[in-house]
Amino acid sequence: MTRPNRSQPQRRRWLLAGAALASGSPLRLWAQTAAQPLRIAVPQAPWYPSFERLTTVFERIHAAKVAFDVSPFTGLLEKTRNAVRSGQSPFDLICINSQFIPEFYAGGFLEPLAKIDPRFKLQPEVIAYDNTLRWDAVRKVFDAKGEVMAVPVNGNIQLLYYRADLYAAKGLKVPRTWDELAANARALHGPDVAGFGLRGNRGFFEASYDFYPLLASFGGDIFRNAAGGDCTVVINSPEALKALQFVQQLAKEAGPAGVGSLTQARLIQLLTGGKLAQAVLVAAAWPQMDDPQRSAVVGKVNVAPLPAGPSGKVVTTLGHWIAAVPKNLPSERKKAALGYLDWFQQKATQQQYRDTGAVPIRQDVLLADPGPDPKYRLLPAVAASSGNTRLMLPVPQAAEIADAMELQLNKVLVGEAQPAAALNQMARDIEALMARAGMKTGRLPDLR
Amino acid sequence: MARRWPSLRLWRAGSLAPLVLFYVLLTLLPVLNLAAMSVSDVSWAAGRSHWSFVGAEHLARVADDAVYRAGVRNTAWFAAVSVSIQMLLGFTLALLVSRTTRGSTLWRMVFLLPILMPGIVIGAIWKLMYDADFGVINQVLAWFGARARDWTGSPELAMASIIAVDVWHWTPFVFLLMLAGLQSLPPEVFEAARVDATPWWRELTRITLPLMLPTIVVTLVFRSIMAFKVFDEIYLLTSGGPGTATEVISFSIYRTFFVQGRAGYGAAVSLVTMMLIAMVVVLALNLQARLARRPA
Repeated sequence: MTRPNRSQPQRRRWLLAGAALASGSPLRLWAQTAAQPLRIAVPQAPWYPSFERLTTVFERIHAAKVAFDVSPFTGLLEKTRNAVRSGQSPFDLICINSQFIPEFYAGGFLEPLAKIDPRFKLQPEVIAYDNTLRWDAVRKVFDAKGEVMAVPVNGNIQLLYYRADLYAAKGLKVPRTWDELAANARALHGPDVAGFGLRGNRGFFEASYDFYPLLASFGGDIFRNAAGGDCTVVINSPEALKALQFVQQLAKEAGPAGVGSLTQARLIQLLTGGKLAQAVLVAAAWPQMDDPQRSAVVGKVNVAPLPAGPSGKVVTTLGHWIAAVPKNLPSERKKAALGYLDWFQQKATQQQYRDTGAVPIRQDVLLADPGPDPKYRLLPAVAASSGNTRLMLPVPQAAEIADAMELQLNKVLVGEAQPAAALNQMARDIEALMARAGMKTGRLPDLR
Repeated sequence: MARRWPSLRLWRAGSLAPLVLFYVLLTLLPVLNLAAMSVSDVSWAAGRSHWSFVGAEHLARVADDAVYRAGVRNTAWFAAVSVSIQMLLGFTLALLVSRTTRGSTLWRMVFLLPILMPGIVIGAIWKLMYDADFGVINQVLAWFGARARDWTGSPELAMASIIAVDVWHWTPFVFLLMLAGLQSLPPEVFEAARVDATPWWRELTRITLPLMLPTIVVTLVFRSIMAFKVFDEIYLLTSGGPGTATEVISFSIYRTFFVQGRAGYGAAVSLVTMMLIAMVVVLALNLQARLARRPA
């Protein structure tokens, strides 16, 4: 594993912080079990360098070794599925993206953290992320009173990225509603710069992921109350239709060319290349905006919470990552993993994490004044959004449902289907697959 | 002789046994496992897999799966168009290089270059070239005053764009086999044609093509099977979109197994696909056998 070079004073600061953290941590499990390196499966994501850099502090203060197994998004999913389904997991900790948390919890693959050591407590300042850290194994739903299953390792959520210089030039205000955003997009749209970008690609949680905040803030949803066990499909509601028509219209009037193949990577490329005025992107994209190697608009992009829909609701889709301990591990490995997680959730650790450029997972760290460095201008928007986060699909069939949604949404955006017909088809597909899975389901009457 | 017969049979059986064992372990068992999975629902609870028998339910659902049907249609279209173009181009290039006396080694190297590149590199190169805003193809079009096109995001252009990449990637394979075939033809036949002052097109249609027919058929079979298994270009460039414009069978199977995690249904789709490809192979081999039986 290559390590970034750091200057001597900086290294000293990190070591001092590490020593402070070691003394402040309520659990000191690591020292007892540090014979082997801690093996962590992580995604090749924009936040990984910060995570890796922070972990060097852990290695120094505990004289321990951490071995990272880094994989792309889909590759990591397959590796972690194989790991938890095998006789013994090759990883002590696995990172799981929000979309797959229900699959791993419901499959019974992970050890509740208090079962590893009853002294473990999730600190109250750690953001709840729509209760996705706690699971009721009997009802098979997320529950604020459920067992703690994981610690978040990256607070990735959706934000509105906008070109502050273009806003200033046109005298525009940061939008508070989707209608205001659409008006700004039309004002900014031109032959060289597109007004607004949303993912339209049919992929792996792409079009569906970006459609969800609109769907939910317009008063619609996918299920009536999935968290409560009612999986009646309501995606073909009049509210959902309005949301989809809004997206379709906005893409036509102010979107970049090729909406049907717009991925997140391409939206970032357009924004940093100066060809896009605003977009919905995840917080993890932030470091690229001010990187002179990658961005032609350094210092010109700002962020804000997503706008509210006609219902007045603001919803931002969760894209956070959690780290959890596989059940199929010897108990000493589980304890070692828990020691790392407990260290990770401490306030001082999270302040260090923030300083490396990552999005911290504690609300108190998000709200604390980090200093004048412009790289921190992301944090107020994240802090303001953390109460509006929602998991798009809180059921184990998330990947299958998203796949059905991706196809229909993409068809609408490329002009191959009408919004009402696409939503009806989505409802039929989702109802059928939930029925096959033995869930309580049904759907609304077809839209006309 | 009579006493040696059983030992000869034993020796034959013994010498074939390792091969049979490998066949059973590496081919038959996985296929049987796939068949068992295709009639089961595989779910996970308490960290363990649970198989429940569902009979032919999955197989019956394959026929109703609109995405899979689009995949079959697209795969057949993709294979027919891309292989036809590759056969034509590969044969023409091989013919030209076989008749070139100067720089033929250089030409061979140049034509073979794409086949040496890993699929992931090809995907990255073409993704950049096809980019609607920053891609070189649209930049060249702009120099000539033509409007930019969305090569991979437009339903009308996406499949053609994928076919273009496949043609670029695999024409060298056809070229290589055709060149080997042309160089193995008996030179005296062509010398006789030259003495008779046979026109080039007559030489091509009456001598070269009939003599090359076995090579052409074998190449066609190889390339058709490979084209039916197309995956990397789709995965890297379009993910099957827009809509189902570039959905192909392999990608449907990948998504069912590895994204949706539906092992039972994925196995059923795989079995149906294996049968479809087997049908294509049988048809191609029959064609080859018929051609071989035809009088010269």
